[in-house]
Amino acid sequence: MFHKLSIIAVAGLLTASLFGQGPGPRFGRGDFSLVRPEFGISNKVVQGAPYSAQAVTQFTQTLANGDHIQRTTTGSIARDSQGRTRTERSFGAIGALSAGRDAGRTVMIFDPVASKSYVLDPVSRTVRSTPIPAARLNPRVHQRPDQPSTKTEELGTQVVQGVNAEGKRVTRVIPAGKEGNEKEIDIVTETWYSPDLQVVVMSKTSDPRYGDSVYQLTGIARSEPDPALFAVPSDYKVREGRPNFRGGPPVAQ
Amino acid sequence: MSENQGELLKALRALAANCPREAPARLEARLRTEFRTQKRRRALATWLPAFGIATAAGIALLVWIHGEKPSAVPAAAAFRAPVANQSVAPSINEEADAGFYPLPEAEALPAAESAMVVRVQLPVSSLELMGVPVGAVPAGDDSPDSNVQADLLLGQDGLARGIRLVE
Repeated sequence: MFHKLSIIAVAGLLTASLFGQGPGPRFGRGDFSLVRPEFGISNKVVQGAPYSAQAVTQFTQTLANGDHIQRTTTGSIARDSQGRTRTERSFGAIGALSAGRDAGRTVMIFDPVASKSYVLDPVSRTVRSTPIPAARLNPRVHQRPDQPSTKTEELGTQVVQGVNAEGKRVTRVIPAGKEGNEKEIDIVTETWYSPDLQVVVMSKTSDPRYGDSVYQLTGIARSEPDPALFAVPSDYKVREGRPNFRGGPPVAQ
Repeated sequence: MSENQGELLKALRALAANCPREAPARLEARLRTEFRTQKRRRALATWLPAFGIATAAGIALLVWIHGEKPSAVPAAAAFRAPVANQSVAPSINEEADAGFYPLPEAEALPAAESAMVVRVQLPVSSLELMGVPVGAVPAGDDSPDSNVQADLLLGQDGLARGIRLVE
């Protein structure tokens, strides 16, 4: 009960506080430190469309004095014909949050063939193996009840990063006065989706309240990735299940 | 055996010898008709399932031949039905009760195709800066220098979609 109240309080107050302040840095240096990656999940399994690419995300905040804070995170993504995915990512920053120290890189393998999700820690040479829940592939994110009105525009088809992609622009409008704002706030999200790969190859988000982000896959190669990418190295010590995980998808120890 | 019984026996044998040994033509015709009807029913019962299976296989073959896009199937079902094409994956909202609460800045982000859950440690002072009252964190951890842990749900772009405190 206390936990639920805490979460509600965190979400509510976080929302209120973030809505209540103008653009600018909300977090100082070393805003978080990574304890550990827990697990990886996927919304769907795509078979027969292998690829590998670099994933680059740029997050930009504009300060009240006109200055900018920009953070870039990079990672790599690979998927084989069987739908297994490997994501390698650093956690130097998560959006506006900056890590207190270099957390290194983390490797996650989502293997629906074996119904397992693996989190590899290259430093300790350990891997945590978690069964993929049959009916619970993704955590639910509670939706806010007061969603702003939206307008969707189809942008047609273009070649983005070497692949055909269908564009869509969604504009969310927060009317003047809704959140104490004098003028209407337009939040724009542009997404370019590859029907062949069934992934978003580029997305741009512009939110005057929090900043802008650009995500894109670069160097897309559509050949079959090295099978070794989806296997746990033999010298890694395997641990089963998630440690002290509570409230999420079921854990089979 | 009495004399009367002996005569009756002789008479019965004589009657049997004189009676026709085949069924009447009308009865035989009725029997043949009934036999043919039953034979047709048995044949139908035998071939109908086979015809159904063949039809289904033909339809499946057509679908497979005309399928152009790679399959996208729910992870759990993907390897139970490897030839399935273009099945729609479950929505992220159909999923479980993991209880992440949305970050306002995630409202505008594209839907997560894949996600990572990472556990991070934040100083209480950071939570306070974010508007979280000290009383909302677990007892004993309410010093500004203390840290609390939270799980962040990150999308494929590495940006956070949701948060939850960890006891």
